[in-house]
Amino acid sequence: MLAENYTQEIEAILAKYPSDQKRSAVMPLLFLAQREYGTLTNEAITEVGELIGLQTTEVASLVGFYSLYHDRPGGKYRIQVCTDLPCALKGAQAFADELCEKLDIEMGETTPDGQVTIEQVMCLAACDRAPLFQLQGPNGFRYHEDQSIGSAMALIESLRVRGQVDRAHRLTAS
Amino acid sequence: MSVTLTIDGTEVTVPEGTLLVDAAKRRGTDVPVFCYHPKMKPVGMCRVCLVEIGRPARDRATGESLLDESGDPLIQFGPNLETACTITVGQGWQVRVSSEKAIQGRKEIVEYLLTSHPLDCPICDKGGECPLQDLTMGHGSGESRFLFDDKIRLAKRYPLGELIFLDRERCIQCARCTRFQDEIVGDPVIGFYERGRRLEIVTYSDPGFDSYFSGNTTDICPVGALTTADFRFGARPWELNSAASICPHCPVGCNLTLSTRREASNAGRDVVKRVMPRQNEQVNEIWICDKGRFVHHYARSPERLTSPRVRKNGKLVKASWNEALTRAAEGLKGAASSAVGIASGRLMNEDLFNLKELMAALGGRAILVDSMAGGNLIQRYGVGVGSNLGSLGKRDAVLVIAADLHEEAPIWWLRLKQAAERGTTLIVANARATRLDDYAKHRVRYGPGEAVQAALGLLHLNGGDPELARFEGDRALKSAARAIKRARNVTIFFGQEGLNYAGTEALARACALITESKGRVGKSNNGLVAVWPRANTQGAWDMGLRPEPAGLHRALAGAVAAYIVAADPVGDDPAAAAPFEKLSTLIVQDLFLTATAELADVVLPAQAFVERAGTFTSGERRVQRLYPAVGALAGSLPDWKIVANLAHRLEVDLEDKAAPLVFERIAAAVPDYLGLSYDDLAAVEPQWPEVGGADLYFGGTAYANKQGLGVQLAPRGAGRPLKWKAPPRASAGKDLLLTPVTVLYDRGSALRHSRLLEGRIAPLQLILHPDEIERLGLSEAGEVEISWDGRSERLKFAASTDVPPGSALVPRGAGLALSDPTPVTVRRSNS
Ligand code: SF4
Ligand code: SF4
Ligand code: FES
Ligand code: FES
Repeated sequence: MLAENYTQEIEAILAKYPSDQKRSAVMPLLFLAQREYGTLTNEAITEVGELIGLQTTEVASLVGFYSLYHDRPGGKYRIQVCTDLPCALKGAQAFADELCEKLDIEMGETTPDGQVTIEQVMCLAACDRAPLFQLQGPNGFRYHEDQSIGSAMALIESLRVRGQVDRAHRLTAS
Repeated sequence: MSVTLTIDGTEVTVPEGTLLVDAAKRRGTDVPVFCYHPKMKPVGMCRVCLVEIGRPARDRATGESLLDESGDPLIQFGPNLETACTITVGQGWQVRVSSEKAIQGRKEIVEYLLTSHPLDCPICDKGGECPLQDLTMGHGSGESRFLFDDKIRLAKRYPLGELIFLDRERCIQCARCTRFQDEIVGDPVIGFYERGRRLEIVTYSDPGFDSYFSGNTTDICPVGALTTADFRFGARPWELNSAASICPHCPVGCNLTLSTRREASNAGRDVVKRVMPRQNEQVNEIWICDKGRFVHHYARSPERLTSPRVRKNGKLVKASWNEALTRAAEGLKGAASSAVGIASGRLMNEDLFNLKELMAALGGRAILVDSMAGGNLIQRYGVGVGSNLGSLGKRDAVLVIAADLHEEAPIWWLRLKQAAERGTTLIVANARATRLDDYAKHRVRYGPGEAVQAALGLLHLNGGDPELARFEGDRALKSAARAIKRARNVTIFFGQEGLNYAGTEALARACALITESKGRVGKSNNGLVAVWPRANTQGAWDMGLRPEPAGLHRALAGAVAAYIVAADPVGDDPAAAAPFEKLSTLIVQDLFLTATAELADVVLPAQAFVERAGTFTSGERRVQRLYPAVGALAGSLPDWKIVANLAHRLEVDLEDKAAPLVFERIAAAVPDYLGLSYDDLAAVEPQWPEVGGADLYFGGTAYANKQGLGVQLAPRGAGRPLKWKAPPRASAGKDLLLTPVTVLYDRGSALRHSRLLEGRIAPLQLILHPDEIERLGLSEAGEVEISWDGRSERLKFAASTDVPPGSALVPRGAGLALSDPTPVTVRRSNS
C-alpha cells in the first residue's frame, strides 16, 4: 500500500498543491506508484485515485495518455518510437518495423534477455527530428533524434552491455 | 448586446457571445457537428464544423474600418477554415457555410474520420438515425483514398457494464460521452485511454459505467459506438412508431417517447422497443435517468394479471369481468360508508378522481398510502407558474431538506447540480451526507430525525415567531438562513427522510412559512416542491385523497370492505395482513397478483402506463399527458374504467368511456384544474436547443416534443395564516434510530419484473457507522439481529461513515417492513 509505505513522500507531494486541488498531485503520485510497483496496475491506479479523490477511470485516462506511464510490464529499457503522422512521413514506421525485425520481436514485445522493449507512441513533439524515440530506463528518460537503424542498434548494444555489467555488479555484490 | 452578421448571404442578429454554430442553427442553417453539443462546452475536437469566416478589415494604425470601392466595409477572409463551434460571432462578419471551400474542408474531415470507421451501417443500431451516416451521405466522398487493409480492428461488443455496450471501431473520439459524464452529471466513470487511432473508451468503475444517467450517452453519441443493452439489435429506427408518455417512477415527470414496433413475438402486436427522452426544457431537458429508460419490461411480464379473479371456496379463481365486478359491487354496497378506498400515487389523475368520487358517493373514505404530508400546502405554496430549474441563476437559492435527490428524483438532482454550477445558492440539509452535498454552498447537518428542528431554525432567522428561538442552530444553519434571506427567489424541496407522517407535516409547514417569509409566493422559481415517493402523489392530493395520519390500520379499523388500487400494503409489511383478513370484502386492483391480492375476494387486472392515456401531476405541479403506446394486455382495463364500471353497478354515475372525458369532469370539479383540457396539455412551443430534426448530430436522438409540454398549475397563495408545528417527539434512547432511505433501484414490482437492472437493485442490509460496528463487537462478515416493537429480524450489514451517530440506515423497499424511522435494538446475531 502506497499510503502506508510512502506516507512522508505522499505528504510532501500533496503539500505542493492547495488542499482543495489535491487532484493536481496525480502525476507525481503516479510516478511514485510506478516506482513502487514497476507498472501501473488497476490496484495501483485505484490507490492513487483514492489518495486524491479521483475516480479510477479518471486516473487511468492519464496513464493511457502519457507514454511515461506503463500499464504493462516491459524490459529494463523501453524504446518508444514515435510513429505518428509527421514522423511516419519521414520514415518512422519503416524504421520501427525494421528495428523490431532486427531484434526479432514484434512491436510491444521485449527482447528475450529482458533488456529492451520496443513500443510505438504518439507525437513526442520533436517531429522535425524523425525518426526518433524516447528511451526510458532506470535513470530516467532521454530523446534520441534523427536515428538510423545503425545508430539505434549501437545504442541497444551498449544498453545490453551496461545491463550485463549491472548484473555482474549485482552478482558480485550479493 | 446583440450582434448582426451574415450567414450564407442572410443577415441574422443574435445575442453577443453566441457561438457561430448556434447562430447558424437559429437562422436555419445546419453546420455539421460531431463533438459540439449545445448542452456542453465546446472543445473543437472533431473539426467537422469548418466554415469560412470573413471579418471586417481594419486599419492597423487607426483601428478604423476599411471600406471597399463601393464604400461598404471591406471583408477579409483568412486563409484557413475555422471551427464554427468554438468561435463566438462578431459584428459584421460574413460567414460561408455552403461555399465550395467550406464543403471541401468538411469532406476531407469526414473522409479522415472514416479512415478506420467500419461503416457497418447495415448491422448498426444507429443506422437510420446516425449523424455520421447522414454526414457521410451529405459530405463524404464516395470513395476513400485510405488503404482498406490499414483499418484498425477493435472490439465490437465491449460491455462497459451490463447496460451500455461499446463498439470501439465505430467511435470517432468526439468525447461527447465522457464530457457528458464529467461535465453534466459529475460521474467521470468513463474516459479516454491511449491516444490517436488507438484511443478507446474505458471504464474502471464497479459495476461498469456506474452512473444513473448512462443511457443518455447513447442518445448523444453521434455514431453507433454506444448502444443500450435494451435496444441493441432490437429494431431499425425507421421501423419504429412513437408515442408520447411520462415517466411513472418519480415525481420529476420526465417526458418520454416510447418507440414501438409490431412484432411476431407479441402475436403481431406492438411492443415497446425503447424508452427515450422527449424534450421538455422545463422538466427534463433532453435527459432521463436509467430507471426511466430501462424499467419498462414489467409491462410485458408474463406474470401480469390477464383476467379478473374471485374467491370461491377459499381459492382465487378466474372469473368474467361481470362476475367479478358484481361481486365487488355487492361487497361495497353492503359496506356503504364502512368501505374504504386505498390507492397510491402510482395511479393517474383520472383513476384517482373516479375512485374518490365512488368512495364519496358511498360515504366512505379514499385514503392515499403514500405516507407523506404536504400536498395541501403545495396547492397553496407550490412553485409559481414558469418555475424552471434550468433558469435558476446567481440571485436564486434552493433548499433541499430531508431528501436524497440523487436517489429519489435523479433529474432534479442533475438540474440542481447544474444550477449550483451556474451560481445558484444551493443549501442541502440532511442528517447525513448525500451526493448533492458536493455542489452545495451550505451544508446543514442535523441529528437523526431532526429535519423539522432545522427547518424551524431557518424559519426563525427569516423573521419567524420569536418562540422559535430555541431552534436556533449552529453556524452552518445560520449562514444558510442568511443565504435564504439574501436570495431573490427561493425554492424548497422537502422530503421525508428520517420523518414519520407527523414529522413531514411539521416539515412541510415550516418550509411553507420560509417561502412565505420571502413574500414571493406564487412567483416563478419560488415555492415548495415535495419530493414525493410516487410520480403522481401530488395528483392524488389534488384529486382529494388524503393519507391517514395514524396509519393504515387506523383507516381499516371498523371497515367492512376495502378497495385497494395500485397499492400493496401487505407486500410492504406482511405483519399488517391481519386487518385485511378480517374484512368481509377485499377488492384489489393491480398489474400483478400482489401479496395483498392473494388475500383478496376479488382481483381486478389493471393496465400498465405504456398502454394508457391519462395525466400525471408532477412534483412541480405540472399536469402532463400520457398517450397509449401499445395495445392493452388482453383482459386488462384502465383503472378509471374499472372504477366506473364498478360504480355503475352501485348506481353511481362516473365517466366510463374515455380518459379525456374523465378529465373533463376533473376540469369541472377540481379547483385548480378548472377549465383545463387535454388540448391545453398538448400545446407545444419552440424549444432551444432544437432536437429531433433532420440533423440528429446537433442535439442527439432525444425526441422533439410535439405532444405537449403540460401545464403548470398556479398555487393559490398563502390565504389564511399558517402556524408552525413543533417537531414530533422522537427519542431513540439507548437504541439506534433505524432510518429507511430511498434508493433508486429498490425492490419495487416495476424493477423486479424488468430484467435489465436486476444486478443493481440495492441489497437488503443494515448500514452502520464503523464506530457502531466496533461498539457492537461485530465481526467483518455476518449478520445482526434488530428488534423493535416485539418484532425482530436478521440482516446482513455494511459499513459507511455517512451514517449519522445514533442511527442506522436501511434501503427503503428492499424487503424490511419498516417505512417510518423506528428505534431498534441491534445486537450480534448468534450463530
Ligand atoms: S463513444 Fe460515441 S460519444 Fe463517446 S467518444 Fe466515441 S463517438 Fe463520441
Ligand atoms: S428522474 Fe424520475 S421521472 Fe425522470 S426518468 Fe428518472 S425516475 Fe423517471
Ligand atoms: S509526430 Fe512524431 S514527434 Fe510529432
Ligand atoms: S470541432 Fe466543431 S463540432 Fe467538432
